[in-house]
Amino acid sequence: MKVLPLDKLREALNIMANDAEVYVPMLRDDISGYFQWADNPADELALDLLNTYLSPKNVVIPQTEPMYKFKTSKQDVEITEVQVREGARIIFGIKACDLKALENLDMAFLTMGFEDEYYKARRQDLTIIAQACYKPGPACFCEGMGADRINPAADVLIHELENQDYAWEAKTSRGEELTAKIAALMEERDVTLPQAEPQSRKVDMTGVSEKLAEMFEHPVWDDLSSRCMNCGICTYVCPSCYCFDIQVSNRGEAGNRFRCWDSCMYREYTMMAGGHNPRDYKKERYRNRFLHKLQFFNERYGANLCTGCGRCVILCPNGVNIIEVIEKVKEVKLDA
Amino acid sequence: MNDFTNKAREIAKRLLADGTVSVVLGWEKGDEPYASAPTAITELAEVDRLIIDEYCIHEIAALLTDYRDGTDKVAIFAKGCDVRGIIRMIQDRVIPRERLHIIGINCPGMKDPNEYARAASGFGKAPAAEIAAKCQVCQNPNPFIYDEIIGDLQKVEPSNERFASVEEIEKMTPDERYNFFAQELSKCIRCYACRNACVACNCRTCIFDESKPQWVGRSTDTVNNMLYHIIRATHVAGRCVECGECERVCPVGIPLMLLNRKLVKDVDELFGPYQAGLSLEDDAIPPLSRYRVDDPDEFM
Ligand code: SF4
Ligand code: SF4
Ligand code: SF4
Ligand code: SF4
Ligand code: SF4
Repeated sequence: MKVLPLDKLREALNIMANDAEVYVPMLRDDISGYFQWADNPADELALDLLNTYLSPKNVVIPQTEPMYKFKTSKQDVEITEVQVREGARIIFGIKACDLKALENLDMAFLTMGFEDEYYKARRQDLTIIAQACYKPGPACFCEGMGADRINPAADVLIHELENQDYAWEAKTSRGEELTAKIAALMEERDVTLPQAEPQSRKVDMTGVSEKLAEMFEHPVWDDLSSRCMNCGICTYVCPSCYCFDIQVSNRGEAGNRFRCWDSCMYREYTMMAGGHNPRDYKKERYRNRFLHKLQFFNERYGANLCTGCGRCVILCPNGVNIIEVIEKVKEVKLDA
Repeated sequence: MNDFTNKAREIAKRLLADGTVSVVLGWEKGDEPYASAPTAITELAEVDRLIIDEYCIHEIAALLTDYRDGTDKVAIFAKGCDVRGIIRMIQDRVIPRERLHIIGINCPGMKDPNEYARAASGFGKAPAAEIAAKCQVCQNPNPFIYDEIIGDLQKVEPSNERFASVEEIEKMTPDERYNFFAQELSKCIRCYACRNACVACNCRTCIFDESKPQWVGRSTDTVNNMLYHIIRATHVAGRCVECGECERVCPVGIPLMLLNRKLVKDVDELFGPYQAGLSLEDDAIPPLSRYRVDDPDEFM
């Protein structure tokens, strides 16, 4: 099998970065995320991490994304520049949970009769180098959400070997092309792939969406939501939350429109012109997040919108845990 | 702390059974040994979910905003820092003292469940401290306003450490300071967890949620991130009770207490001596929430 030795990795990333934006797991002070290779000299490559606190969704949906610039004069508006960002992108080391989330984003932005051109521009030339996950952590439950953590579908699949070199398998023609560019750095070797350790957190989603459809008014939401403080951590670190808001900033006659992440946990998210808010209380906002993750998305696209990455479970400051929510939902007895 | 849990359940049962309160704010256990989480118990049958252990670090008084519009009585388990938070809520007229039944917990110092979750996760650098940073410099572990109390009085090691890091920043040149904060705040993802965890951020409509006019841009750039933090810090000046929750909950590790402590220090030096959340007496109202003819005004 082809092997990319660890000490050749930086060189490989440099070569890739010649004609593409390359996103790699890195540490910025205490925070880990998929940051652009060689973008900020303070970022350190962080390949020993199981995954990153910030999800890789910024590659296709940056937190703040410029849309277009305009100029006004009296009643007229002229669009002076459309800021669609096409170009080659590579994501290195993405795990099965986040890859599944990317599939979710594809469904939301590219199917059902509408293609979002900003998303499409970032997505269409994205090469995915996924890393098989042999040693899951205590918060991971991607298997319960249907991910294949050893064999996720990608352009290239890499396996971290015992000596930390990467066994390298090109899976698509796009993957072959990329591999050809760094072929000189690779070695051909007999390798033993690691043994997969079991995932300790189990989730069984059988019947959960269907049951949730009957539970909109159930009092369990009061109890479950009581600990939540409606911040945006869970939705912002989630690899598959995709809500955004369209905003404008202008100075005099010139302005630019941009979009930025938004969260259904915020009161302002559902604030109507005129002051009515259909989700005025935290129970309603909390319920929406879980219903979107576990019911609405399933109804529309036939997939869970949670992919079991565990980030919200690790980072929620008030101990909200989506696995416990699923268990509680199962325990609820519905009146006939 | 096992008997804390038993005591807590006994008390909660009594209060719910005899109708003293209709809800009890405390903690319950999640599915990891460290995963203690705030909860609101309303049913007698659910009281045995309550626990008190060494991971109950959350500033539970922040949840009182959920009850601001009711008339029911609320029981709240409160460590020393939580009592300061409760005073914040009472003085800011979120909830009157008469609607609260405070069960104080003399607090031995808490561990941060999030630190433990992060350390176990494999997702990043793991902070190592046993007892949380904010508890190591705590000067008020023992509740001083309560209706009943659990546990033995804790000894307090007097410490002036809390301003040490502020003084480091004060020594910097303006450029160094700007660069320091620009670098730190560029990481902010504007999740507003620091605001929502804050007992002083109890406004019904927060300035950052207003859209007409919109006071601060939503884009996550240095300018708007700085605006967010400068405005929030000045809004809580004189009202911050130094519970350290904003810094604890921040998912990207921004040292927010530097900003807050700077303002705590300034308010204390300019208008003090003053510390927020230590008394319910009239003269303990935050200096920036009242007017006095002898207030300093050299800057005008
Ligand atoms: S579930 Fe946790 S992270 Fe999400 S909004 Fe509530 S408190 Fe914040
Ligand atoms: S809901 Fe939580 S566990 Fe599920 S994908 Fe999002 S962050 Fe990960
Ligand atoms: S859970 Fe909320 S923030 Fe996330 S995608 Fe759904 S509606 Fe949007
Ligand atoms: S930031 Fe200011 S307006 Fe917003 S909740 Fe805090 S004190 Fe209130
Ligand atoms: S908690 Fe941290 S990331 Fe979130 S808004 Fe506050 S400073 Fe920014």
